[in-house]
Amino acid sequence: MAHQAHAYHMVDPSPWPLTGAIAALLMTSGLAVWFHFHSTTLMILGTILLLLTMFQWWRDVVREGTFQGHHTPPVQKGLRYGMILFITSEVFFFLGFFWAFYHSSLAPTPELGGCWPPTGITTLDPFEVPLLNTAVLLASGVTVTWAHHSIMEGERKQAIQSLALTIALGFYFTFLQAMEYYEAPFTIADGVYGSTFFVATGFHGLHVIIGSMFLAVCLLRQIHFHFTSEHHFGFEAAAWYWHFVDVVWLFLYISIYWWGS
Amino acid sequence: MAARLLIRSAVRAATTCRAAPVPALTRGMAAGGIPTDEEQATGMERIVMKAMKEGADPYSMMKPKEYAGSKADPHLVPSITNKRIVGCVCEEDNTAVVWFWLHDGEAQRCPSCGSHYKLVAHELPH
Repeated sequence: MAHQAHAYHMVDPSPWPLTGAIAALLMTSGLAVWFHFHSTTLMILGTILLLLTMFQWWRDVVREGTFQGHHTPPVQKGLRYGMILFITSEVFFFLGFFWAFYHSSLAPTPELGGCWPPTGITTLDPFEVPLLNTAVLLASGVTVTWAHHSIMEGERKQAIQSLALTIALGFYFTFLQAMEYYEAPFTIADGVYGSTFFVATGFHGLHVIIGSMFLAVCLLRQIHFHFTSEHHFGFEAAAWYWHFVDVVWLFLYISIYWWGS
Repeated sequence: MAARLLIRSAVRAATTCRAAPVPALTRGMAAGGIPTDEEQATGMERIVMKAMKEGADPYSMMKPKEYAGSKADPHLVPSITNKRIVGCVCEEDNTAVVWFWLHDGEAQRCPSCGSHYKLVAHELPH
């Protein structure tokens, strides 16, 4: 089978990096076309290409790892480093938005009334839906840990149930947050308060949706017997990402919803 | 309120499936339903898994073994062909590495520090 003298994986040539790059080009130029010429065609084309790229690239990773056995211990270690580095980059991404929030809220300008929350802003009560959202995400952290232990202990039914419950909690969070967005007494156009609130919580919500999708793929893979009790890194990566999303929410809740109210 | 109801039903769901049969620690599929690497690992992963279980290291994943480097206990250098490049760091923290080809046959000595190196055949589990 292997004609290599090392345990690493020299990946076969693949078209997906190219299609991904083309998708990025079409999406960005499509965004500019949308702004200037009021047509969304190019951007939508780019988005479709991006979705196709992600689906086929990650399907190839699953084929290489689970079906062809290329993910030896050194390869798995590399994948772990990769996921950790990616999550770290996402931490820095959110740090920027927290920086923006604290920059504006710690020394509120005269235009805002010299106070935070700014004059005229009715903030959301942190002890209503935001607190429920906190409980929902914390509970989902428990259920995803339950799923992990179920996999390690060979409990198929419990793994499927706890993973499904985690995804359900994720969807519940997204639903509640969507309701909050609809009912909020302020918009993104309401000064720097609106900007920092909706950009920070908006990107967080996007990451919840991404995390839920990742977990959903793991659920499908678990149902199809891809994971073994010792080797299930795809699931671990999804769980790490989910915990990261949970932690970001906790910081958002403490900073923007509670202290900022 | 809604959260409390949700948590309560989650607890109920958690406790009901505890009524499953006692999980055996042997065959994952027969008992809990999740396969083990022993049952399902394939390809390179399986080869490496089997080799590690026997203590072998065909793909040189571990640190090389330590030898005295003397005539009686030369550094054994595994090779898949009949020669391999050796880089000798004669003394610890030396920044100049002494590179040379090591050929099959009699042990060779490092041109700088004189340590003995001997090529040995290395079998790959194809």
